[in-house]
Amino acid sequence: MSSLSFLNPGFLWALPAAAIPILIHFLSKRRLPEVRFPTVMFLRALEPREIRRLKLRELLLLILRTLAILLLVCAFARPSVEPKGAITRAAAAVAVVVDDSESMGAMDEQGRPRIDGARARALAIVDAARPGDEVAITTTTGPDASLSNHVVDRLRLERTVRQIAVTWYPGRMEAALERGRRFLGRTALRSREIYVVGDFQATNVTRGAREKLAQISRSGVRVHLLPLVSSRVPNHAIEDLDPELRPGPQGKGLELRARLVNHAGSPSERLAIRARRGDVLIGGGDVALRADEARWASLPIEWRAGAATGNGRDPGAKAAVVVESDVDALAADDRWYAVLGAPRRLRVLRIAESRAGAPASRFTALALDPLQDGSSGYAVENGTPASLLGINLARCDVLLLEDIASLSGDAEARLRGFLREGGGLVVALGPHADPDYYGHKLFPGVIDLALEGTERAAEGQPFEARARIPGHPILEGLSLDVGSPLTQSKLTGLLRGRVTSAKALAVVSTTGGLPLVVAGPQVAVFLSSLSDDWGDLPYSGAFVPLVRGLVDYAARATSPGAGDRALVGRPPSARLDNAPAGAVVVRGPESYRAQAQVVSEGSGFRAVADAPAPAPGFYVFDAGTRETATVAVNPDPIESDLQPISIDSLRSGAAEAPRTLLTLGSLKTHLRDTRQGRELWLLFLMGSAMFLAAELALGSARTLSP
Amino acid sequence: MAQTSQRLLDPHIVSKLARLDLRARLVVDGFLTGLHKSPYHGFSVEFAEHRQYMPGDPLRHLDWKVLAKSDRKYLKQYEEETNLRATLLIDTSASMSYSSHGLSKLDYARQLAASLAYLMLRQKDAVGMFAFSSGRGELIPPRSTPSHLRQLLVLLEHLQAIGGTDFASSLHALAERVKQRGLIIILSDLLDDPERIAGAIHHFRHRKHEVLVFHVLDPQEVAFQFEREATYIDLESGERITTRPQELRGDYRSRVLAWMERIREFCVEKQADYVSVTTDLPYDRALLEYLSKRARLL
Repeated sequence: MSSLSFLNPGFLWALPAAAIPILIHFLSKRRLPEVRFPTVMFLRALEPREIRRLKLRELLLLILRTLAILLLVCAFARPSVEPKGAITRAAAAVAVVVDDSESMGAMDEQGRPRIDGARARALAIVDAARPGDEVAITTTTGPDASLSNHVVDRLRLERTVRQIAVTWYPGRMEAALERGRRFLGRTALRSREIYVVGDFQATNVTRGAREKLAQISRSGVRVHLLPLVSSRVPNHAIEDLDPELRPGPQGKGLELRARLVNHAGSPSERLAIRARRGDVLIGGGDVALRADEARWASLPIEWRAGAATGNGRDPGAKAAVVVESDVDALAADDRWYAVLGAPRRLRVLRIAESRAGAPASRFTALALDPLQDGSSGYAVENGTPASLLGINLARCDVLLLEDIASLSGDAEARLRGFLREGGGLVVALGPHADPDYYGHKLFPGVIDLALEGTERAAEGQPFEARARIPGHPILEGLSLDVGSPLTQSKLTGLLRGRVTSAKALAVVSTTGGLPLVVAGPQVAVFLSSLSDDWGDLPYSGAFVPLVRGLVDYAARATSPGAGDRALVGRPPSARLDNAPAGAVVVRGPESYRAQAQVVSEGSGFRAVADAPAPAPGFYVFDAGTRETATVAVNPDPIESDLQPISIDSLRSGAAEAPRTLLTLGSLKTHLRDTRQGRELWLLFLMGSAMFLAAELALGSARTLSP
Repeated sequence: MAQTSQRLLDPHIVSKLARLDLRARLVVDGFLTGLHKSPYHGFSVEFAEHRQYMPGDPLRHLDWKVLAKSDRKYLKQYEEETNLRATLLIDTSASMSYSSHGLSKLDYARQLAASLAYLMLRQKDAVGMFAFSSGRGELIPPRSTPSHLRQLLVLLEHLQAIGGTDFASSLHALAERVKQRGLIIILSDLLDDPERIAGAIHHFRHRKHEVLVFHVLDPQEVAFQFEREATYIDLESGERITTRPQELRGDYRSRVLAWMERIREFCVEKQADYVSVTTDLPYDRALLEYLSKRARLL
């Protein structure tokens, strides 16, 4: 049953004002002037006919005036009516999750920063709160501290909302939802709601976030989703910069390689890329990208132009370089900081074993370091399963297990320890690999991949490998379209595998759907042979890029402490060749200053700042008065894909389908209906104006009539 | 000069003079001065005496025979021939006391009657007067002596608007008393049944009298330009009606105009002259109507 209530009942004291017209009416009746007139015979003749009409009109006017005042007073008292069945009377606990990740700095469909829309929605929710409500606000990049339950303090909440700004961090929707869930779980109030405001970027709304939403919904909390965008916004990004300068075409000049991505369903226009060293432009070029293409682009540079001193042909000299492009939807990813002249050199420990007196194949070693001098960027050390126990794994970045049957318990324990410390692992299976060992012993806890035995191709019908995720880092060196074959070589055997969770991803699979390359955190698995046991893959053009892609991926997925490449939100760290003389201080943009802790790492040392980097830029490590290292910190490129999820996809698993409120207007209407009841002040005001207009019209008609 | 004469005919200006005889002279002199400039050429008169011509005098009154005989310019002066007996009937009912702008209907009638009497006596006509109210009235028989004016003016000065109008009875009674036929001039607001009024006029006509009716009304009586709701009290009957004038104004006007038209039609039917005047109108219209009527009679 709907009921009428007033949000400003204090104004109802003015209701007696409605009696004013009645009082005036009767007072004016009592004080009528008397006019002595020659004769009333003409009036007498008219009066009986007019009197009824006049009295009726007078009554109507009186009613209209009274109603006009009555409705006006009521309008000021903000009448509201509760819709049938709404639980609006009871106080409610409301959790508001606001996405403040980097992508919220992009423009929404109205051309305003998404964060503005998010703040406006959060403010509307806060504004709708009533005394007795409990409201908590959290952000997707905020700290993991629990949200406190407190009775609504609107001013404080509004201040909190206004202080929400776009951060450089990727959103952690699952963690934010968990904070909201815990907050709502602690409240004693029965009516509980959660509002999620953001761009619902696919990379933020992980499987965990989806499960968390379903869990919240099942616990009786009403879930409201407030997406700020409904479709993908084209955006290009600079995702990485190769710190090593390479010779230009035909050995002339130098080139800088930048990894560019076009997050759009259509080709990009030519992007103007510029490389700066300090304030000096040192090179650049125009780059065009296909739809959804991610590739390394070579940019010619004039190294000498930016060098204050030294040999222009000496790429070994370290230099802080900024590469930037034209600003588009998301400005944060149109600039990349890098320290050049410090070529990356991945140290790979390759574990293989000889069989039946034949030495182990060296295809992968040759693919990584053909000249065996480390000039390719890979330093390969060979070992056997047994030598795993004796080698200092801290000196390695990536461990490559190549067609190893199984590992001993001790070797496996060392390998797991290596992974825990941030090392990368590439497992290439093969005809000698024991599926039971890998499927049931090694892989659990390492990668979510089950093995179900060996699969051999029928005669004359080799397996055909096709890329399932063309832009995946493992396939960076291969120019592949969606569904295009990885190689023309013939694969005759593989191990039948099955990905068991979303943490593992089949990057390449056969035409029949069997996974061939599976990637997980820090781990890449090739389910066939990287030698010529099962086909002629090592002789194909795809072999070298594939092997390097596997190693690079495993190395990149390692912890940031393993290299100098750092992301915003994590402590900057730098590798030092020599022990610093004294305390190391780190300074960076936005007045960043932090102490660094120095630990031994392999043959050198690593200095790790004790505070996360707050913004992209160069961070300088000072030991005493001397600069010992400079590292570049960049935002996580994961935010660059401005692709929202389909909101409908969040309905699965929820007890009650989440309510989607697309616009600020629909949110306000919803809040009004459910929290405050449907406000009727405008209706009352219009009614008052209507009655007043009717009164004026009736009055005018009266005086204008002949 | 014309403007001055017009001002002298304005009822409001005239009413500021205290003495009625002065007021009457003022009105008539002003009227005649205005008449001199007008195309109206006056009335027939008997020759009385000669006067020496003065520059500016009209040549049409020049005595050509005298000029031919004596070479002197004389104007012929005329004395009006009169056999007109006029009786002024003045309504003194309470309704005549009404005034919306300072000059009551009775004041207006009183002034008009005085002016007419003065004019008539200047023309050597015999003038009588009868003031009536509720069937009673005092009759002063018509005489043409200059001293008669004083008697008439004294009666006019003492008129008071009291009581109701029994118009028809008063006139019927008078018609019986006035034996010698003449001109009956009625000054009244005629607030009575139009058919009874017509009957009374008919009575006069039957007695071979000529009748001139001055229907004297206040402008508010016709226009009914009141704004506020009020209680209206009948000056004669005391009847009270509360109403909103703005609501009724249109219908009221229609009814009043219809009533006036009905009286006019009755007058035409009875071959009486009907002149409607409101108290804000100058007196010249009424005087002209009288002269026009006199010209037709003589």
